[in-house]
Amino acid sequence: MTSTLPAVTTPKVPAQRTPVPKTGSTPRTTPLPSRLRTSRADLILCGVLLVVVMTVQGWNIADYPALSDDEGTYLAQAWSVQQGNGLAHYTYWYDHPPLGWIQIALLTWIPSLISPESMTVGSMRIVMLLVSAISAVLVYVVARRLWLPRWAAGLAMLLFGLSPLSVVLQREIFLDNIAVMWTLVAFCLAASPSRHLWHHFGAGIAAAAAVLTKETMIFVLPAVMITMWRHSHRDTRKFALTGAITACVLIGMSYPLFALLKGELFPGGGHVSLWDGLEYQLTRPGSGFILDQGSGSYGVLQSWLYYDRVLPLGGLAGALLLLVTWRWSVTARALAGPAFTVAILALVALRPTGYLPAMYVIQALPFLALVLAGGAASVAHGVLRRWRSTDEREFVTRARYAVAALLVAASAAYVVPRWYDGDRTAVTADANAPYRAASKWLATEVDHPEDTRVLVDDALWLDLVHAGYEPGLGVIWFYKADLDPAVTKTMPGGWRDIDYVVASPTVRRDAADLPNVKQAMRHSTPVATFGKGPDRIEIRQVRGGSTASTASTTGTADTADEATTGGDR
Amino acid sequence: MAAFTLWWQMHAWRTPEVLASTRFSSPDGGEHLSFSLLLPARHEQAVLDHTIQRLLESSHTDFEIIVIVGHDDPETTEVACEAAERDPRVRVVVDTHEKKNKPRAMNTALPHCRGDVVGVFDAEDQVHPELLAHVDHAFRSTDADVVQGGVQLINFNSSWYSLRNCLEYFFWFRSRLHLHAQKGFIPLGGNTVFVRTDVLRAADGWDPDCLAEDCDLGVRLSSIGKKVVVAYDSDMVTKEETPGSLMSLLKQRTRWNQGFLQVYRKKDWKQLPGFGQRLLARYTLMTPYLQAISGVIIPLNVAVALFLDVPVGIAFITFLPAVTAFVTFVFELVGLHDFGKQYGLRVRFVHYLKLIVGGPFYQVLLAGAAVRAVWREQQGRNDWELTSHVGAHLTDVGAARALEATEATEAAAVATRGSREDVPA
Repeated sequence: MTSTLPAVTTPKVPAQRTPVPKTGSTPRTTPLPSRLRTSRADLILCGVLLVVVMTVQGWNIADYPALSDDEGTYLAQAWSVQQGNGLAHYTYWYDHPPLGWIQIALLTWIPSLISPESMTVGSMRIVMLLVSAISAVLVYVVARRLWLPRWAAGLAMLLFGLSPLSVVLQREIFLDNIAVMWTLVAFCLAASPSRHLWHHFGAGIAAAAAVLTKETMIFVLPAVMITMWRHSHRDTRKFALTGAITACVLIGMSYPLFALLKGELFPGGGHVSLWDGLEYQLTRPGSGFILDQGSGSYGVLQSWLYYDRVLPLGGLAGALLLLVTWRWSVTARALAGPAFTVAILALVALRPTGYLPAMYVIQALPFLALVLAGGAASVAHGVLRRWRSTDEREFVTRARYAVAALLVAASAAYVVPRWYDGDRTAVTADANAPYRAASKWLATEVDHPEDTRVLVDDALWLDLVHAGYEPGLGVIWFYKADLDPAVTKTMPGGWRDIDYVVASPTVRRDAADLPNVKQAMRHSTPVATFGKGPDRIEIRQVRGGSTASTASTTGTADTADEATTGGDR
Repeated sequence: MAAFTLWWQMHAWRTPEVLASTRFSSPDGGEHLSFSLLLPARHEQAVLDHTIQRLLESSHTDFEIIVIVGHDDPETTEVACEAAERDPRVRVVVDTHEKKNKPRAMNTALPHCRGDVVGVFDAEDQVHPELLAHVDHAFRSTDADVVQGGVQLINFNSSWYSLRNCLEYFFWFRSRLHLHAQKGFIPLGGNTVFVRTDVLRAADGWDPDCLAEDCDLGVRLSSIGKKVVVAYDSDMVTKEETPGSLMSLLKQRTRWNQGFLQVYRKKDWKQLPGFGQRLLARYTLMTPYLQAISGVIIPLNVAVALFLDVPVGIAFITFLPAVTAFVTFVFELVGLHDFGKQYGLRVRFVHYLKLIVGGPFYQVLLAGAAVRAVWREQQGRNDWELTSHVGAHLTDVGAARALEATEATEAAAVATRGSREDVPA
């Protein structure tokens, strides 16, 4: 029976979970329950919202949006990990840290054991539902830990889960979605109400996992630090922050260490290297200034705004508002982390010369939602509580509620119809019929798939592997036919060694820069076409060695939908 | 293993609430306990008087100081008797054992203690005047049987190893010991430790043959379920200095390690009720050896990973110990900063540098001490006569201390000796 002294000095330590801000007016937040997980109201609200969000996100997940090339890449590499073939079935060249698809491999492991054929992009999107669900719950928890009232936390979760932009992007097998989940875990631990050293340590590890999943998350790290700073106690802060940074750096170092152990850290003759990979990512041709009409970045921006304007623009405005009102608003200080995240990501997107991938916005979505909900909470407080005295006249109080109701009605009138349309498309449209048809055709109409060589975009690759084509050299990621020496050396005859090209929009777009693919397209004719217009998929048979079939002028100029399919490879 | 140490080392800083609970609570003004403060002194005439005077300045109203001197040490006895003549609160007890060591000296004095609580200090300690009042309050407010106060080495800038040694004390008393108190298994420190007199007498005092009698006492008391309270306040700690030379540090360490091993083999800890407690006991008492092993293994692992052709996965695993060691390193740096803040000491960049560079060498020193302790213990068992061997070892140390003491005389009243701080770290 031994013990330390009882905490008789507790008065020295501010009570837990009281909002940090000492200035400002009356407390505006409902006090947090001692533990979120034992609060019935929080559990019920969060649970109900989760069901709604999951229904909208999960319904029709395989058929909308259109399969993306990148999804195919990551899933194929996850498949390679599952098969024990290393980090990729082609040479892993340090394009991204591999943690992302290692996680996908884990997530899809059990389903693929039960049914190996289901390891295709469309059917495996279902695992992203799990990631989205975790992220949505984490948004709620983070909101509560940042002292938002219950309704605002619910609002943040809804904004994050139901924005048509979120629905479209979170359904896809993108590394960004997994990285976002880790970032939210980091935020959640950084804002841990018990301010436990090991929670902060864990926040560092989660942040590192986020960066190793998708390297662009590195921009968000300062915001995690800010949150941790604000939520740690003065007496233990230096240990907490040091612990977090150390954990983050050490875990992050495992990637270069991995390269070092494989002898691939620095460039050298005859092998890929981390250095080369980084150089490639950092020197990718820029897609122009985002506000410059006609630039690639502008197109990407428009593709986001096509799905939803409320969350990106509203969230951005909310972040600016919070940063400007930092001095006066309690909510603004509480939400410093998310607001700062949005600001950093916006600034990075505004680089005039950088490359802006289509999925860039994914990492901002939860923070846009948090900031927007925080802004709403701030406005609600302003309308309902500010300058309110105990003996306020009744009609003034009523007027306050009337204004609040009006604001709610107006924003609902603006948002609900637009989101309803967007989400209805998401749960009803079938964008992938051509892909499925092409996959079926190649599985049934080709006589000897094992001896057939097909150039295909990454999204269809696993389908054909399951159909019996030889992975890697039989069914070939189309750009590998030009870019991977290990593949080109098996094609001494260039395009003549190819039997089919599956010309999807991505293939047609990129063929312009890939001589072998271009030649194969030129020397082939469509034997089957699925879909219409720029989204059509043609199966083109290469006419061995003959130059006659130059009829295929349909080829290489379909760049209309470049913006929405802008790859991140 | 490194991860566990790290986990426990950082115990006090886990949350702000834990940190607050490790401090003394402010005394309420009431003083109800009487203290008998034991002050064993051996060839320490240079500093003894100073220490006694400081103790007499205590704000507490009811205490006696019992200076224990050896019958073969007339110089120290003279100083002690002078002090006793000046102030009636000071008494002198002469230890007539043939082979002298600290536990025997204290056992000699135990029957003479009149106070409710027996406290132990070393002859070179600088004790804070408010300490007794705080301890009094801690006893009464927590109903404790034992109160362990903080001990801190503060001469961090006198040599490279003193820096590390200071920091070891800092982490041990500031953090780790609290965890031990909480878990119910605690090796006590050698001084600034207070035990209720009846509890101490019931436990038959200290083990006269143990090299780490303080640790042994703590283990025995916590094994029979006595309540131990640890409190640390940076302005209330007993300040000490590191051993004067690298050799004496090595000897001190050897003695602790060997003492730990003896305590381990006495098996008192097996009476602990919880499995986790026994595991903690086993682990804590074995720490010196694990430390020695890991000191060798970590560099070896990294070398294997980098220079031998092993699969990437295995190479990764071999890096794990290095990673935890690195995290410990970083926390030590932060701890040094906190140490400087708490004691108002200026820690310069060069100290951080010393801490880093000195790390591996200190590890070698610890490993050396561990190996030396095992070897000595082995020798001791071969000729059975454990005590005689222990005695030889102690005289050995005693001689070293005598030498240092003469040096110290030249350096006037500055207390520059050590080797009796019985605090494991």
